[in-house]
Amino acid sequence: MIPIRCISCGKVVSAYYDEYQKRSEDGENPKEILDDLGITRYCCRRMIIAHVEAW
Amino acid sequence: MVQVDLEVRGEEGSKMEIDIKKQTDNELIFIVDGVDVPFINAIRRICMMEIPKMAIEDVDIIRNDSTLFDEVLAHRLGLIPITSSTASESIIFASECDCGGHCPKCSASFILKEKGPKVVYSKDLKPEDPDIKPVYDTVPILRLKKNEEVELAAIAQLGIGLEHAKWEPTTACAYKYYPKITVDDNCDSCGMCAEECPRGVLELKKDKIIVVDAENCSMCGTCMRICPTGAIDVGGEEGKFIFRIETDGSLSPQEILTKACEVLSEKTDRIIEFC
Ligand code: SF4
Ligand code: SF4
Ligand SMILES: [Zn+2]
Ligand SMILES: [Zn+2]
Repeated sequence: MIPIRCISCGKVVSAYYDEYQKRSEDGENPKEILDDLGITRYCCRRMIIAHVEAW
Repeated sequence: MVQVDLEVRGEEGSKMEIDIKKQTDNELIFIVDGVDVPFINAIRRICMMEIPKMAIEDVDIIRNDSTLFDEVLAHRLGLIPITSSTASESIIFASECDCGGHCPKCSASFILKEKGPKVVYSKDLKPEDPDIKPVYDTVPILRLKKNEEVELAAIAQLGIGLEHAKWEPTTACAYKYYPKITVDDNCDSCGMCAEECPRGVLELKKDKIIVVDAENCSMCGTCMRICPTGAIDVGGEEGKFIFRIETDGSLSPQEILTKACEVLSEKTDRIIEFC
Protein backbone atom coordinates (compact mmCIF):
# COMPACT_ATOMS: atom_id res chain seq x y z
CA MET A 1 0.00 0.00 0.00
CA ILE A 2 1.21 3.49 -0.77
CA PRO A 3 2.25 5.48 2.34
CA ILE A 4 -0.63 7.75 3.43
CA ARG A 5 1.52 10.88 3.35
CA CYS A 6 4.64 12.17 1.63
CA ILE A 7 7.47 11.13 3.92
CA SER A 8 9.22 14.50 3.51
CA CYS A 9 6.50 17.13 3.71
CA GLY A 10 3.40 15.29 4.92
CA LYS A 11 1.07 15.97 1.99
CA VAL A 12 -1.66 13.34 1.74
CA VAL A 13 -0.40 11.89 -1.55
CA SER A 14 -2.21 8.55 -1.16
CA ALA A 15 -5.55 10.30 -1.75
CA TYR A 16 -4.51 10.94 -5.35
CA TYR A 17 -2.84 7.62 -6.09
CA ASP A 18 -5.82 5.74 -7.56
CA GLU A 19 -6.61 8.59 -9.92
CA TYR A 20 -2.96 8.87 -10.96
CA GLN A 21 -2.78 5.13 -11.55
CA LYS A 22 -5.92 5.07 -13.62
CA ARG A 23 -5.01 8.06 -15.75
CA SER A 24 -1.46 6.89 -16.40
CA GLU A 25 -2.75 3.47 -17.46
CA ASP A 26 -5.00 5.31 -19.89
CA GLY A 27 -1.84 6.69 -21.46
CA GLU A 28 -1.74 10.21 -20.04
CA ASN A 29 1.65 11.86 -19.48
CA PRO A 30 2.67 11.45 -15.77
CA LYS A 31 3.97 15.01 -15.60
CA GLU A 32 0.65 16.41 -16.74
CA ILE A 33 -1.34 14.25 -14.32
CA LEU A 34 0.79 15.33 -11.36
CA ASP A 35 0.55 19.01 -12.35
CA ASP A 36 -3.20 18.66 -12.76
CA LEU A 37 -3.60 16.95 -9.37
CA GLY A 38 -1.70 19.81 -7.71
CA ILE A 39 1.21 17.64 -6.61
CA THR A 40 3.85 20.28 -7.22
CA ARG A 41 6.80 19.48 -4.93
CA TYR A 42 9.33 16.91 -6.03
CA CYS A 43 9.22 15.15 -2.65
CA CYS A 44 5.55 14.34 -3.24
CA ARG A 45 5.97 13.59 -6.95
CA ARG A 46 8.56 10.88 -6.24
CA MET A 47 6.21 9.26 -3.68
CA ILE A 48 3.73 8.60 -6.48
CA ILE A 49 6.08 7.93 -9.38
CA ALA A 50 8.35 5.58 -7.44
CA HIS A 51 5.65 3.57 -5.69
CA VAL A 52 5.30 -0.11 -6.54
CA GLU A 53 2.14 -1.79 -5.28
CA ALA A 54 3.53 -5.01 -3.76
CA TRP A 55 0.62 -6.29 -1.68
CA MET B 1 19.09 55.54 10.98
CA VAL B 2 19.00 52.87 13.65
CA GLN B 3 16.77 55.06 15.75
CA VAL B 4 14.23 55.47 12.95
CA ASP B 5 14.20 51.74 12.56
CA LEU B 6 13.52 51.19 16.26
CA GLU B 7 10.75 53.74 16.22
CA VAL B 8 9.02 52.01 13.35
CA ARG B 9 9.15 48.66 15.08
CA GLY B 10 8.18 50.19 18.41
CA GLU B 11 4.72 50.97 17.15
CA GLU B 12 3.57 47.44 17.89
CA GLY B 13 3.44 46.24 14.32
CA SER B 14 1.29 49.10 13.09
CA LYS B 15 3.48 49.23 10.01
CA MET B 16 2.83 45.62 9.10
CA GLU B 17 1.31 45.17 5.68
CA ILE B 18 -0.14 41.96 4.33
CA ASP B 19 -0.90 41.32 0.69
CA ILE B 20 -2.65 38.06 -0.14
CA LYS B 21 -1.38 36.49 -3.36
CA LYS B 22 -3.28 33.22 -3.48
CA GLN B 23 -6.05 31.77 -1.39
CA THR B 24 -7.69 28.37 -1.75
CA ASP B 25 -9.26 25.89 0.67
CA ASN B 26 -5.93 24.49 1.73
CA GLU B 27 -3.33 26.97 0.53
CA LEU B 28 -2.56 30.57 1.39
CA ILE B 29 0.30 32.63 -0.03
CA PHE B 30 0.82 36.18 1.20
CA ILE B 31 3.46 38.86 1.31
CA VAL B 32 4.11 40.38 4.69
CA ASP B 33 6.07 43.60 5.04
CA GLY B 34 7.37 45.35 8.13
CA VAL B 35 8.20 42.39 10.36
CA ASP B 36 11.44 40.75 11.49
CA VAL B 37 12.70 37.17 11.33
CA PRO B 38 12.07 36.24 15.00
CA PHE B 39 8.43 37.30 14.67
CA ILE B 40 7.67 35.62 11.36
CA ASN B 41 9.54 32.47 12.38
CA ALA B 42 7.60 32.29 15.64
CA ILE B 43 4.38 32.41 13.62
CA ARG B 44 5.67 29.68 11.30
CA ARG B 45 6.65 27.37 14.13
CA ILE B 46 3.37 27.86 15.98
CA CYS B 47 1.39 27.14 12.77
CA MET B 48 3.21 23.83 12.44
CA MET B 49 3.54 22.72 16.01
CA GLU B 50 0.98 24.27 18.35
CA ILE B 51 -2.40 24.43 16.60
CA PRO B 52 -4.73 21.73 17.97
CA LYS B 53 -6.43 19.38 15.52
CA MET B 54 -7.99 15.93 15.54
CA ALA B 55 -6.20 12.68 14.69
CA ILE B 56 -6.88 9.03 15.45
CA GLU B 57 -5.04 8.13 18.63
CA ASP B 58 -6.50 4.83 19.89
CA VAL B 59 -7.55 1.88 17.76
CA ASP B 60 -9.36 -1.20 19.10
CA ILE B 61 -8.80 -3.89 16.51
CA ILE B 62 -11.38 -6.63 16.80
CA ARG B 63 -10.45 -8.42 13.60
CA ASN B 64 -7.76 -7.85 10.99
CA ASP B 65 -7.26 -10.57 8.38
CA SER B 66 -5.28 -8.35 6.03
CA THR B 67 -1.55 -8.61 5.37
CA LEU B 68 -0.96 -5.38 7.33
CA PHE B 69 0.21 -5.76 10.92
CA ASP B 70 -2.18 -4.24 13.47
CA GLU B 71 0.46 -1.61 14.36
CA VAL B 72 0.88 -0.58 10.73
CA LEU B 73 -2.88 -0.38 10.30
CA ALA B 74 -3.21 1.81 13.40
CA HIS B 75 -0.36 4.02 12.19
CA ARG B 76 -2.02 4.46 8.79
CA LEU B 77 -5.28 5.41 10.47
CA GLY B 78 -3.47 7.99 12.60
CA LEU B 79 -2.10 9.76 9.53
CA ILE B 80 -5.49 10.25 7.85
CA PRO B 81 -6.44 13.92 8.23
CA ILE B 82 -9.72 14.44 10.11
CA THR B 83 -11.82 17.62 9.70
CA SER B 84 -11.17 19.67 12.82
CA SER B 85 -12.89 23.05 12.36
CA THR B 86 -15.80 22.30 14.70
CA ALA B 87 -13.83 19.85 16.84
CA SER B 88 -11.19 22.37 17.86
CA GLU B 89 -14.04 24.42 19.41
CA SER B 90 -16.25 21.67 20.83
CA ILE B 91 -13.74 19.05 21.96
CA ILE B 92 -11.26 19.37 24.81
CA PHE B 93 -7.82 17.78 25.23
CA ALA B 94 -8.00 14.29 26.70
CA SER B 95 -5.40 15.33 29.29
CA GLU B 96 -7.80 18.05 30.51
CA CYS B 97 -10.83 15.76 30.62
CA ASP B 98 -11.80 14.07 33.89
CA CYS B 99 -13.11 10.88 32.23
CA GLY B 100 -9.70 9.23 32.42
CA GLY B 101 -10.14 7.40 29.11
CA HIS B 102 -12.29 8.69 26.30
CA CYS B 103 -15.74 10.23 26.30
CA PRO B 104 -17.72 12.42 23.85
CA LYS B 105 -16.25 15.55 25.47
CA CYS B 106 -12.66 14.68 24.56
CA SER B 107 -12.99 12.18 21.68
CA ALA B 108 -14.72 11.31 18.43
CA SER B 109 -15.06 7.73 17.34
CA PHE B 110 -15.14 5.86 14.05
CA ILE B 111 -16.21 2.35 13.13
CA LEU B 112 -14.69 0.31 10.33
CA LYS B 113 -16.24 -3.00 9.33
CA GLU B 114 -15.57 -4.38 5.87
CA LYS B 115 -15.33 -7.71 4.12
CA GLY B 116 -13.14 -8.53 1.11
CA PRO B 117 -12.36 -8.74 -1.69
CA LYS B 118 -11.87 -4.96 -1.77
CA VAL B 119 -9.62 -2.04 -1.00
CA VAL B 120 -10.82 -0.25 2.12
CA TYR B 121 -10.75 3.55 1.78
CA SER B 122 -11.00 6.42 4.23
CA LYS B 123 -14.62 6.92 3.13
CA ASP B 124 -15.43 3.53 4.71
CA LEU B 125 -14.57 4.90 8.17
CA LYS B 126 -17.99 5.58 9.65
CA PRO B 127 -17.86 8.65 11.90
CA GLU B 128 -20.02 9.02 14.97
CA ASP B 129 -20.17 12.81 14.51
CA PRO B 130 -20.75 13.79 10.84
CA ASP B 131 -18.74 17.01 11.33
CA ILE B 132 -15.65 15.08 12.39
CA LYS B 133 -14.77 12.83 9.46
CA PRO B 134 -11.83 12.07 7.13
CA VAL B 135 -10.96 15.03 4.90
CA TYR B 136 -10.38 12.82 1.85
CA ASP B 137 -12.59 9.91 0.76
CA THR B 138 -9.92 8.31 -1.39
CA VAL B 139 -7.10 7.40 1.00
CA PRO B 140 -6.47 3.64 0.65
CA ILE B 141 -6.13 2.07 4.11
CA LEU B 142 -5.77 -1.66 3.48
CA ARG B 143 -6.55 -4.37 0.96
CA LEU B 144 -8.70 -7.40 1.79
CA LYS B 145 -8.67 -10.63 -0.21
CA LYS B 146 -11.73 -12.83 -0.65
CA ASN B 147 -13.50 -13.50 2.67
CA GLU B 148 -10.93 -11.54 4.67
CA GLU B 149 -12.46 -9.15 7.17
CA VAL B 150 -11.53 -6.09 9.16
CA GLU B 151 -13.41 -4.76 12.16
CA LEU B 152 -12.20 -1.98 14.41
CA ALA B 153 -13.15 1.06 16.45
CA ALA B 154 -10.93 4.15 16.22
CA ILE B 155 -10.85 7.05 18.66
CA ALA B 156 -9.72 10.48 17.47
CA GLN B 157 -8.49 13.04 19.96
CA LEU B 158 -7.18 16.57 19.94
CA GLY B 159 -3.41 17.07 19.90
CA ILE B 160 -0.62 19.34 18.70
CA GLY B 161 2.31 18.78 16.32
CA LEU B 162 4.84 19.02 19.16
CA GLU B 163 3.53 15.68 20.38
CA HIS B 164 3.29 13.77 17.09
CA ALA B 165 3.51 14.74 13.40
CA LYS B 166 -0.02 13.40 12.79
CA TRP B 167 -1.30 16.45 14.70
CA GLU B 168 0.53 18.91 12.44
CA PRO B 169 -2.14 20.77 10.46
CA THR B 170 0.33 22.16 7.88
CA THR B 171 2.09 20.19 5.18
CA ALA B 172 4.18 23.05 3.79
CA CYS B 173 4.62 26.08 6.00
CA ALA B 174 7.56 28.29 5.06
CA TYR B 175 8.64 31.80 4.20
CA LYS B 176 11.40 33.31 2.09
CA TYR B 177 12.84 36.79 1.88
CA TYR B 178 11.22 38.96 -0.75
CA PRO B 179 13.89 38.86 -3.50
CA LYS B 180 15.62 42.11 -4.35
CA ILE B 181 17.45 42.02 -7.67
CA THR B 182 19.62 44.94 -8.73
CA VAL B 183 21.66 45.45 -11.91
CA ASP B 184 24.24 48.25 -11.83
CA ASP B 185 26.00 50.28 -14.54
CA ASN B 186 28.74 47.66 -15.08
CA CYS B 187 26.26 45.54 -17.01
CA ASP B 188 27.33 45.11 -20.65
CA SER B 189 23.99 43.55 -21.71
CA CYS B 190 25.47 40.19 -22.62
CA GLY B 191 22.20 38.52 -21.55
CA MET B 192 23.86 35.50 -19.94
CA CYS B 193 22.04 35.93 -16.64
CA ALA B 194 18.65 35.90 -18.36
CA GLU B 195 19.63 32.81 -20.30
CA GLU B 196 20.85 30.89 -17.27
CA CYS B 197 18.15 31.79 -14.74
CA PRO B 198 16.18 28.57 -14.10
CA ARG B 199 13.05 30.45 -13.03
CA GLY B 200 12.63 32.88 -15.93
CA VAL B 201 12.98 35.86 -13.62
CA LEU B 202 15.15 37.97 -15.91
CA GLU B 203 14.72 39.12 -19.50
CA LEU B 204 16.97 41.08 -21.86
CA LYS B 205 14.85 43.77 -23.48
CA LYS B 206 16.32 46.55 -25.60
CA ASP B 207 19.83 45.95 -24.24
CA LYS B 208 18.65 46.16 -20.66
CA ILE B 209 18.08 43.46 -18.07
CA ILE B 210 14.50 43.61 -16.80
CA VAL B 211 13.24 41.78 -13.73
CA VAL B 212 9.98 40.28 -14.95
CA ASP B 213 9.00 38.00 -12.06
CA ALA B 214 10.96 38.83 -8.90
CA GLU B 215 8.67 36.80 -6.59
CA ASN B 216 9.52 33.62 -8.44
CA CYS B 217 13.27 34.04 -7.82
CA SER B 218 14.65 31.25 -5.63
CA MET B 219 17.83 33.21 -4.80
CA CYS B 220 19.91 30.39 -6.25
CA GLY B 221 22.63 32.87 -7.26
CA THR B 222 23.16 31.40 -10.74
CA CYS B 223 22.87 34.83 -12.36
CA MET B 224 25.52 36.25 -10.01
CA ARG B 225 27.94 33.40 -10.72
CA ILE B 226 27.54 33.61 -14.48
CA CYS B 227 27.77 37.39 -14.77
CA PRO B 228 31.22 38.33 -16.21
CA THR B 229 31.15 41.88 -14.85
CA GLY B 230 29.66 41.32 -11.43
CA ALA B 231 26.86 43.72 -12.25
CA ILE B 232 23.93 41.75 -10.90
CA ASP B 233 23.14 41.29 -7.24
CA VAL B 234 20.43 39.18 -5.62
CA GLY B 235 19.50 39.69 -2.01
CA GLY B 236 16.47 39.85 0.26
CA GLU B 237 14.46 42.89 1.17
CA GLU B 238 14.78 43.72 4.84
CA GLY B 239 11.61 42.90 6.75
CA LYS B 240 9.63 41.64 3.75
CA PHE B 241 8.73 37.98 3.30
CA ILE B 242 6.70 35.69 1.06
CA PHE B 243 4.86 33.26 3.35
CA ARG B 244 3.16 30.08 2.23
CA ILE B 245 0.88 27.83 4.26
CA GLU B 246 -0.44 24.59 2.83
CA THR B 247 -2.62 22.42 5.06
CA ASP B 248 -3.65 18.77 5.09
CA GLY B 249 -7.28 19.93 4.93
CA SER B 250 -8.11 19.38 8.60
CA LEU B 251 -8.13 23.15 9.15
CA SER B 252 -8.06 26.03 6.67
CA PRO B 253 -4.84 28.09 6.43
CA GLN B 254 -6.78 31.16 7.61
CA GLU B 255 -7.90 29.33 10.77
CA ILE B 256 -4.35 28.17 11.42
CA LEU B 257 -2.86 31.63 10.97
CA THR B 258 -5.48 33.32 13.16
CA LYS B 259 -4.96 30.76 15.92
CA ALA B 260 -1.19 31.06 15.62
CA CYS B 261 -1.48 34.80 16.27
CA GLU B 262 -3.66 34.10 19.33
CA VAL B 263 -1.15 31.56 20.67
CA LEU B 264 1.74 33.99 20.13
CA SER B 265 -0.03 36.80 21.95
CA GLU B 266 -0.89 34.45 24.85
CA LYS B 267 2.78 33.48 25.06
CA THR B 268 3.94 37.11 25.07
CA ASP B 269 1.33 37.95 27.72
CA ARG B 270 2.77 35.18 29.88
CA ILE B 271 6.30 36.54 29.48
CA ILE B 272 5.12 40.06 30.35
CA GLU B 273 3.34 38.75 33.45
CA PHE B 274 6.38 36.73 34.49
CA CYS B 275 8.69 39.74 34.16
S1 SF4 C 1 19.03 34.11 -8.13
FE1 SF4 C 1 18.53 32.36 -9.45
S2 SF4 C 1 16.30 32.46 -9.66
FE2 SF4 C 1 16.94 34.44 -8.89
S3 SF4 C 1 17.20 35.71 -10.71
FE3 SF4 C 1 19.23 34.83 -10.25
S4 SF4 C 1 19.31 32.95 -11.45
FE4 SF4 C 1 17.15 33.59 -11.41
S1 SF4 D 1 25.21 38.58 -17.02
FE1 SF4 D 1 25.85 40.48 -15.99
S2 SF4 D 1 26.67 41.75 -17.64
FE2 SF4 D 1 25.51 40.11 -18.63
S3 SF4 D 1 23.45 40.98 -18.91
FE3 SF4 D 1 23.43 39.92 -16.95
S4 SF4 D 1 23.92 41.51 -15.44
FE4 SF4 D 1 24.52 42.31 -17.46
ZN1 LIG E 1 6.14 16.13 -0.23
ZN1 LIG F 1 -13.14 12.55 28.26
